[in-house]
Amino acid sequence: MSLMIILLMFTAFLLTRVTNLRTAVSILLVQSVVVAFSCLVVGLETGKTHYFIAALLTVFIKAVIIPYALFRIVGRLKREKETDSFLSPNLSSLAAVAATAVAYGFIDRALPGIISRDALAAAVAIVLIGLQIIMIRRQAVLQIIGLNTMENGLYLLGLSVTKGLPLIIELGIFVDILVAVAILGLLTYRLKLSYLSTDTTLMQKLKG
Amino acid sequence: MIPLIVAALIIPLLTAAFILFARARIVIKRIHMAGSIITSTVLLTLTYGIYLSGPVGQGLLYMDHLSAVLVTLIAILTFTAALFSLSYMDKEVAHEPSPGKAVKRYYILFQIFTFTMISVLVVENLGLMWVAVEATTLASALLVAFSFSRAAIEAAWKYVMVCTVGICLALLGTILLYFAQLSTGLEGEALSWLALKAIGGKLDPSMVKIAFIFIIIGYGTKVGLAPMHTWLPDAHSQAPSPVSGLLSGALLSCALYVMMRNIAIVRDSLAFDFIQQLLVGLGLFSVMLVVPFLLVQHDVKRLLAYSSVEHMGIITLALGIGTPLAVYGALLHIFNHAIAKSGLFYLAGIITQEYRTKQIMRIRGILAQMPRLGSLFLVFVLIITGAPPFGIFFSKFIITWAAFAGGFTLVGTALLVLLGAVFAGMMHYSFQMVFSSQTGTEHTTPMGAGAATAVIVSLLLITISGFYLPDALETVLHQAATIVTGG
Repeated sequence: MSLMIILLMFTAFLLTRVTNLRTAVSILLVQSVVVAFSCLVVGLETGKTHYFIAALLTVFIKAVIIPYALFRIVGRLKREKETDSFLSPNLSSLAAVAATAVAYGFIDRALPGIISRDALAAAVAIVLIGLQIIMIRRQAVLQIIGLNTMENGLYLLGLSVTKGLPLIIELGIFVDILVAVAILGLLTYRLKLSYLSTDTTLMQKLKG
Repeated sequence: MIPLIVAALIIPLLTAAFILFARARIVIKRIHMAGSIITSTVLLTLTYGIYLSGPVGQGLLYMDHLSAVLVTLIAILTFTAALFSLSYMDKEVAHEPSPGKAVKRYYILFQIFTFTMISVLVVENLGLMWVAVEATTLASALLVAFSFSRAAIEAAWKYVMVCTVGICLALLGTILLYFAQLSTGLEGEALSWLALKAIGGKLDPSMVKIAFIFIIIGYGTKVGLAPMHTWLPDAHSQAPSPVSGLLSGALLSCALYVMMRNIAIVRDSLAFDFIQQLLVGLGLFSVMLVVPFLLVQHDVKRLLAYSSVEHMGIITLALGIGTPLAVYGALLHIFNHAIAKSGLFYLAGIITQEYRTKQIMRIRGILAQMPRLGSLFLVFVLIITGAPPFGIFFSKFIITWAAFAGGFTLVGTALLVLLGAVFAGMMHYSFQMVFSSQTGTEHTTPMGAGAATAVIVSLLLITISGFYLPDALETVLHQAATIVTGG
């Protein structure tokens, strides 16, 4: 399990550095596969079929459908790449380090002596890094990836502290994510049509 | 009762499916209206059933008096919005390249949106409630983006991004709450609201505290509390007006409902001071923050949207005070605000369609050109700002009274001052639009029959609720207040 957590943290850190959209989607794919593996690990430990179903769903939705959809969108956005982010790659990696430190500090102070402290803190850190990606990055696709990273962090959190949520709720969450990515994808496409770019900072008609 | 709940969930979906296969616009509109009327009837029957026989539940479905209050609201608002859409949307899509398809898309999304809001109110499980709340965002995002203009795309993008991030934090809180539930080692369905309520006092306070903070930030984003309200003025002003009415009146109320469900659970394990300070602080801050935006505003629909943030602030503040009187006031205010604000958005929709602009500067002399519309608009602005003798005056009165009675003298005074400022801002701009002399072209298109009925129904309801509430509704409101205060 620790291996999985380290791998997940690593993919989250990588995401703070990439500027190429296609690479970012590939990293998200790897990240989702790691999440599915962690689910499988818990399944093997406990021997409950629930986890195998959840792992399968994760692979199917997060590692097949969503990356496929994102690859298709990126394919249509020729010559779009991340430039002039709010923070440079080095600074945003540094921000991710800070987020990790904050997550550990927060968990240790708020819930001292909790079981699975590392997993909990790492999960919170990944959620924070996802949030940072959304705030720092200008490209619509990278913001969608940030959202998915946040969600993966939450999934890890659920897996590590409560051994997952009941299957029906997880099913609902999967459907929500899928629809959210579909809608954001549609909006990205519309963004490209009307602004000729998917740089979200161009949208500033609505103020005051 | 349970079959009725299932029916309330299925009918909007069935209606959407029928619309999908219908061709002629007149048929689509008939199916849509029939579906909405049946849904609303079923929902009102459910409320009456709860009034007669108390809470019902089976499996994942559950309804009590608190859900009944909100269900009544959804029944009224989806009906008026559906009615108002008929003529409004015909005009709205007139310039689209393929109006037939656009209308179809609108009505299908409208029904799905109705379905998601009803499902928030009838599920028993906090996890599923989360799923349903996120579904409302997704269903309504496509309605916000309906025209796919630059502004609409921007609004929808912000709406989905900000609300989904917010709701992710709520999920974090919910998972932590589940962890607290597991740690007690007691029996009970995972995240079942009834189970959590029963063991509320045994949950680990430090864990519940963190969970509650995340839950309030998360669902607070969806409620539109400052400083997480940034998406609200954009989304509510860019959506087609009937949808703006639903977003402001119905959806914000649904988000408040989920917050109240969570408050009811944590009340037993957290220090009451903490909940009070958090909610009263957030509520007052929201009211305070919107005042400058209401005093300097250029867009009539944004004016109304900021007023929604203000009202959500007032309600959250009242929930924070937490005495039975305050919570009763909060529930009454949810009810009144929803009806008044949706009516106001419908009127603003007609005005923006007539003048082809949302700019306050360019809307002049409504009263001279369209006397009935002008006077209705003025009356509704008076209602929303809390002029007597309409419902909102009384619910605001109850809330301020509860603030003073609950020992929040300073908060109560600040609230009164802020409400005065809000009144000044809203009246200033309304007077500009309604009275000042007319320039330019004549606007004489008569109000559509459906649109007029929708507005009149809202006006009647909000006027009557100032004097008289039916016994069933009054009882349900009081019972609901008891549920929130932990009775």
